[in-house]
Amino acid sequence: MTVSAQQIEKDLTDLWREGPDDKTKGLGLQRVYTTNLVAFAPDHVEGYRVEQILNDLAEKHPGRYILIRPAADSTEPPLRHYVMGHCFFGAGKEKRVCCDIIKLVAQKEVIENLYGFTFSLLLPDLPVEFWWPGDLPYENPFFERMATQSNRVWVDSTKFKDPVRSLARLSTFWDSRFPHTLLMDLNWIRVQRWRSLIAELFDGQWSGYLRDVRKVSIAYGEGSPATRGFFLACWLASRLGWKYQGERITTFPPQLDFEGPKGKVEVVLQPVPVQDAKRDRIFAVGLVTDGDPSGVFTVVRDQDPHCVIAQSEIDKKPAFSRTVSFEHFHSNEVLNSGLKNLRPDPGWDKTLKMAGTILAKPDLTKA
Amino acid sequence: MSAPILLENPLRQGLFSDRVPQPCSLVIYGASGDLTHRKLVPALFDLYEKHLLPSSFCLIGISRSKMSDAEFKAKLKDSLKKSEPQLSDSLWESFSQNFHYLAGSYDDRSAYEALARRLDQVDRENGTAGNRIFYLSTPPNVFGDIVENLGLAGLNREDKGFSRVVIEKPFGHDLESAKALNVKVKETFKERQIYRIDHYLGKETVQSLLVMRFANSIFEPIWDRRYVDHVQITASEDLGVGTRAGYYDSSGVLRDMFQNHLFQVMCLIAMEPPVAFEANAIRDEKLKILKAIRPFNEDTVYQWAIRGQYGPGFLAGEKVPGYLQEEGVPPGSFAPTYAALKIFLDTWRWHGVPFLLRSGKRMPKRTTEVAIQFKEPPNLLFKNNLVNLAPNLLVVRIQPDEGITLKFETKVPGMSMEARTVNMDFRYGTAFAEGSSEAYERLLLDCMLGDATLFIRGDEVEAAWEALMPVISLWETTPPEHKFPNYEAGTWGPPDADNLLEKPWRKWRRL
Repeated sequence: MTVSAQQIEKDLTDLWREGPDDKTKGLGLQRVYTTNLVAFAPDHVEGYRVEQILNDLAEKHPGRYILIRPAADSTEPPLRHYVMGHCFFGAGKEKRVCCDIIKLVAQKEVIENLYGFTFSLLLPDLPVEFWWPGDLPYENPFFERMATQSNRVWVDSTKFKDPVRSLARLSTFWDSRFPHTLLMDLNWIRVQRWRSLIAELFDGQWSGYLRDVRKVSIAYGEGSPATRGFFLACWLASRLGWKYQGERITTFPPQLDFEGPKGKVEVVLQPVPVQDAKRDRIFAVGLVTDGDPSGVFTVVRDQDPHCVIAQSEIDKKPAFSRTVSFEHFHSNEVLNSGLKNLRPDPGWDKTLKMAGTILAKPDLTKA
Repeated sequence: MSAPILLENPLRQGLFSDRVPQPCSLVIYGASGDLTHRKLVPALFDLYEKHLLPSSFCLIGISRSKMSDAEFKAKLKDSLKKSEPQLSDSLWESFSQNFHYLAGSYDDRSAYEALARRLDQVDRENGTAGNRIFYLSTPPNVFGDIVENLGLAGLNREDKGFSRVVIEKPFGHDLESAKALNVKVKETFKERQIYRIDHYLGKETVQSLLVMRFANSIFEPIWDRRYVDHVQITASEDLGVGTRAGYYDSSGVLRDMFQNHLFQVMCLIAMEPPVAFEANAIRDEKLKILKAIRPFNEDTVYQWAIRGQYGPGFLAGEKVPGYLQEEGVPPGSFAPTYAALKIFLDTWRWHGVPFLLRSGKRMPKRTTEVAIQFKEPPNLLFKNNLVNLAPNLLVVRIQPDEGITLKFETKVPGMSMEARTVNMDFRYGTAFAEGSSEAYERLLLDCMLGDATLFIRGDEVEAAWEALMPVISLWETTPPEHKFPNYEAGTWGPPDADNLLEKPWRKWRRL
């Protein structure tokens, strides 16, 4: 059977008329759409993972979700579709709220030209978020067209095979290639709470110490790229007016040197041994100031795995300490947190620009 | 107003949680009371969890009971555990590390001098920078004493940092007492330092009224007498007076709900666009509405005001006592537990449009909403085919299930010309899938930030009392025309309230 947008919409209408499952049959359902979210998964394993994330995300951001993944082998039809309803109890528990997920499974060569079909499935007047979980493709018509038509493209630098090179490319070409589309990295959202906690240490009377920061150490899980630590370094540098002093890098080095308002600032990216599952996390951030009096400002994970401690010492005496909840964010929660804000994130733009001054310039002519 | 923290800390810029106040101390009078335990401390904890409490923050609780810091903290922790059962010891210790307690009588001057010394010490030790907020969560009869004594101890001065006073409702018992309290408070604090709380204004949907009206262009052209038939504002409660009989019997529903909550909501619906989204610009417009309320006289009180008191009845299948059977209610009391008012606003925009306000206890359910009913189309094309066309309604639900519904007519599919009313429904809980912040959380944060937009100015309080006093005075001096109780618990109020509707197409909404 030929797949058409009309057929998919009809399947959805039938689905909602009947109720997406036995439990909802005959019940009053409220369909809610707050966004269009198109996700691409490069293979069926990733497709399964992305589908799970979308299912979990639907309760927080009900919307029209379209998941596209390649067929598992060449014997499958060129394009198949599935429609799924996702229902949950809204706030107040008295009403079932539903949204839908359309899954398109296609041969790779079909996907390249699937953008028009995908456009026809988007709901009008709602933002279009395009999530590309893996490495960015090079000259891929589907990606190019989708990125052009979307309000925002989500990447996840945790999934980049070569994060330094991929980030360098992003920092170099995005604005010129896609001037009307925001770019956002889930990894940047993952360090949001760290940024917030570090910022909190310098509120009020402590803000003056920022001028005297001379050393920053960022502990991250051994065996994973230091991408998040690198983001924190670039964020601090962009906010505090530091200029990068070293050679452009092709891998994340153990130390980055900057010139701050009062001289050299060292940022040490320090791997610490951890369990595999926690590898890509940040474990501690410390900032040392050398003014008079000197200060040490740290955010470290607590023994209680659900908390972190933000604290400072001035002149080797405790000055401030605060323990706060720090539950692990799953991917759907990270995406949810990012989707809450539709406006551009100037902090991210400046961080990526700073990264562009540190990372080796990419050869944009090569894949 | 103090400098925004953003300007000082460049790391704050670009963070989405950028509304972070300056370091400060919060002094709560009435710290052993219900409001502190049930609302204020949970709200502070939520702010703490959201990283919205200043990094240097101190709470000093004051009440008459003698207790140590440790006992005070233990009581607060027990209360907080009710709303935060997962609260860990380390989190609590960190949150409450700068919580202190002082016992003292509210009229004992030496207690205020001790407080001043303690605050100075806290500033030195915790970096709270001389910024102070005094929250009066006490019985209203001591507001004046506390404010006066704060002044005598120099705690109203702003030479080091800001000094603000938050005053809980009720602000006065009538016009005279409200004026007297305003005079007393203003002898010590300037108007910009005074934050009169009406927690309704902290509710998300109430604030959203402003956004709905002034961030959309589709409503403004039809928001007047030419298109609006009438406006209904309802705040119903299923609870009775409970343990508040002492307070309630001397207050009644007009003081408890109308003078503050319902009038404030009416102002937000009726006011003209302010020149800026700024506290005084908004409060100026609200004040104009309160001053435009057509004054009640003895005749119009009988015509436009209906009172009621609940008798025994059933709620959720259970028998509940009538008001007169509630513990602490004096026999023969004719305190109204229900009121419905028809209010006319003598403005160009609203001339002739009735605002129907009602509120009552022991009604079938707890709900607050505003319903704007539009006039019928000028020329009914379908009058031969369609006989039961319902008026268009725009309903803003304030609680529960916050949201907005537009009701309109549509054709039923088929060969005949039949219409049915359908709803276009927006619900906060589904569209944003996350709960709104508690009203106190928002209001405490705003006070720390020096943003008085959601607080009531002194002249607003007086104007509201002034509009309501003729009704209150008459009702307090004359027994009801129909014997109380005149509505059964679990119903929507006395049938007399229908007399306010006047036109056959107007009906009280069944909620």
